[in-house]
Amino acid sequence: MVELKHGFKIDVDKCDGRMHCMRACPTQAIRVKGGKARVVPELCIDCGNCLAVCPRGAMTATTIPFTALDKFKFKVVVASPALFAQFGLNVTPAQVGRALLDLGFDAVWEYAVDIELIDRAISNTIKAWPGPFPLISNSCPVVVRLVQVAYPAMVEQLISVDAPREIAARELKRRYAQEKNLKPEEIAAIYITPCQAKTISILQPAEGVTSHLDGAVAIKEIYNDLLFRIRHNASKEDGGETFLGIGEVFHWGAPEGEFPHLSREHYLPLTGLQDVIKVFDDIEKGKLRNIDFLECHACPGGCIGGNLTVENVYAARSKSLRLSSVIPKPTAVFEREVSRRFAAEDLSLRGSLRPRRLEGDGLDLRERVSRKKRADELTRGLPGVNCGLCGAPSCRHHAEDVAAGRADVGDCVFLSRDRIETLRKIYVGGKSQAGSPAGSNLEEKPKNGGQNVR
Amino acid sequence: MAAELLRESYDIQGRNFDKAGEISSEIKALLSGLGLDAASIRRSVIVAFEAEMNVVMYAQRGTLTVILSDEAIDLEIRDVGPGIPDIELAMQAGYSTASDEMREMGFGFGMGLPNMKKNSDVFRIETEVGRGTSVLATIRLNAHG
Repeated sequence: MVELKHGFKIDVDKCDGRMHCMRACPTQAIRVKGGKARVVPELCIDCGNCLAVCPRGAMTATTIPFTALDKFKFKVVVASPALFAQFGLNVTPAQVGRALLDLGFDAVWEYAVDIELIDRAISNTIKAWPGPFPLISNSCPVVVRLVQVAYPAMVEQLISVDAPREIAARELKRRYAQEKNLKPEEIAAIYITPCQAKTISILQPAEGVTSHLDGAVAIKEIYNDLLFRIRHNASKEDGGETFLGIGEVFHWGAPEGEFPHLSREHYLPLTGLQDVIKVFDDIEKGKLRNIDFLECHACPGGCIGGNLTVENVYAARSKSLRLSSVIPKPTAVFEREVSRRFAAEDLSLRGSLRPRRLEGDGLDLRERVSRKKRADELTRGLPGVNCGLCGAPSCRHHAEDVAAGRADVGDCVFLSRDRIETLRKIYVGGKSQAGSPAGSNLEEKPKNGGQNVR
Repeated sequence: MAAELLRESYDIQGRNFDKAGEISSEIKALLSGLGLDAASIRRSVIVAFEAEMNVVMYAQRGTLTVILSDEAIDLEIRDVGPGIPDIELAMQAGYSTASDEMREMGFGFGMGLPNMKKNSDVFRIETEVGRGTSVLATIRLNAHG
């Protein structure tokens, strides 16, 4: 089995084991042992909740540093539409595009064509699909991974059309290799990403192929530089007029994966992991069969609410609506390009999506049943308060970990006094006696915590 | 018959639309926790959900029992309720005696029993008018899943 990669890393030195991440994880993929968080790779779906809640900033996205791009001869930006919603209401996409070039990129890709292509491919796929319904969008890598891990029976409902960003990267390499007389590997297709999940979809696509993109740069990482250049350019006379073409980046200001061709009646847009999970639970019971297509985004508000964006999601939405209201109807040139490429390109997903293999899959049924019974029995002996001090997110998870041989039942503080002593050393410091030194230390902590809250 | 490995029973309360669907969610968690193949889980959950809804819509109360063996998942649903006067009619797709109120809530399109049968490998139904209905659905585990 290939080692599973994730779009973030944990800085063990920064981690102080306060379990915010463990409690925020929707798939219970984090354990905190010995005062340090670690991820159970096969359960992690790269939602990024842990990055957002860590007060120490110990979890960071693995985007590529800007300097790593120097090895490429020609660097092309594929920018998530979320990027253009990050700046003030009067900043145009053309100004943002111009600033990207000033930053050192050689071109900004006209992404609107790819989005339109995928929109058409999805509409056609839905029309030809025999069922089961609804089909589910795959442009959000978290949603794909959620289905693979928690809804394996629904994997076939993930639509087998590639993401616009991948189609864009493939085409831009083809075009610039020809135009600039370069080898495709000398050209970098760099995605400007609103979330760390897209980086994992580049590092290790869920369908088991190699991404056409070469890396992702976080919106957050370049925001300040872009803002500075936008301001600087605006104070000059030319105001971005020299940069043509960028006006065609988004004709409708359509966020990736939104599909104006589909009838509203049979198409549901969903955002926010909690809501997505609720709806998936219903689908699993056989409900929602009258819906053709679900467009799902793990972040509340969609990609503009991604954890590597800067602007708050409501302001970004307002900006995004404004952008779409002023962008003109598609030109004849645009329509011709879409038709030409639609006829020429294969837009289907290059690999097939399968349920993720989980720990215990290889065991026979009897062994799994006896593990479950053992876990039931252990659960009855645990306090049920889900304090997390054992290092698992709930008593039930601790029981399952023990039954699977991954943990010691005595890690529960209710079952072992030694455990409290061990935890005291980890969290309160080396002063192990319950007397004055550790006691005063304990009293200081909540005060500091209280000040932080205010 | 293959040896029974596990048996879990759940009580269903009639007319409680608020909680309807919770038991099928528990059954889903149980079966996926056991790492059973995806297709068998999917079929079992659909059968369990339709059965649960039938009890909630028509009966006073019922029990749903999951019995797992090496080869199959058996779902046994027994309710105390009005029974079904004409089973043949009830098994036809689209036939429903649901009230307007139930339909407004999105239930009662007459697909429940046919859908349960479609998703089972063995499907038996017994009913006594004025007493209640029992359903036994068997879903064979897919060894290649």
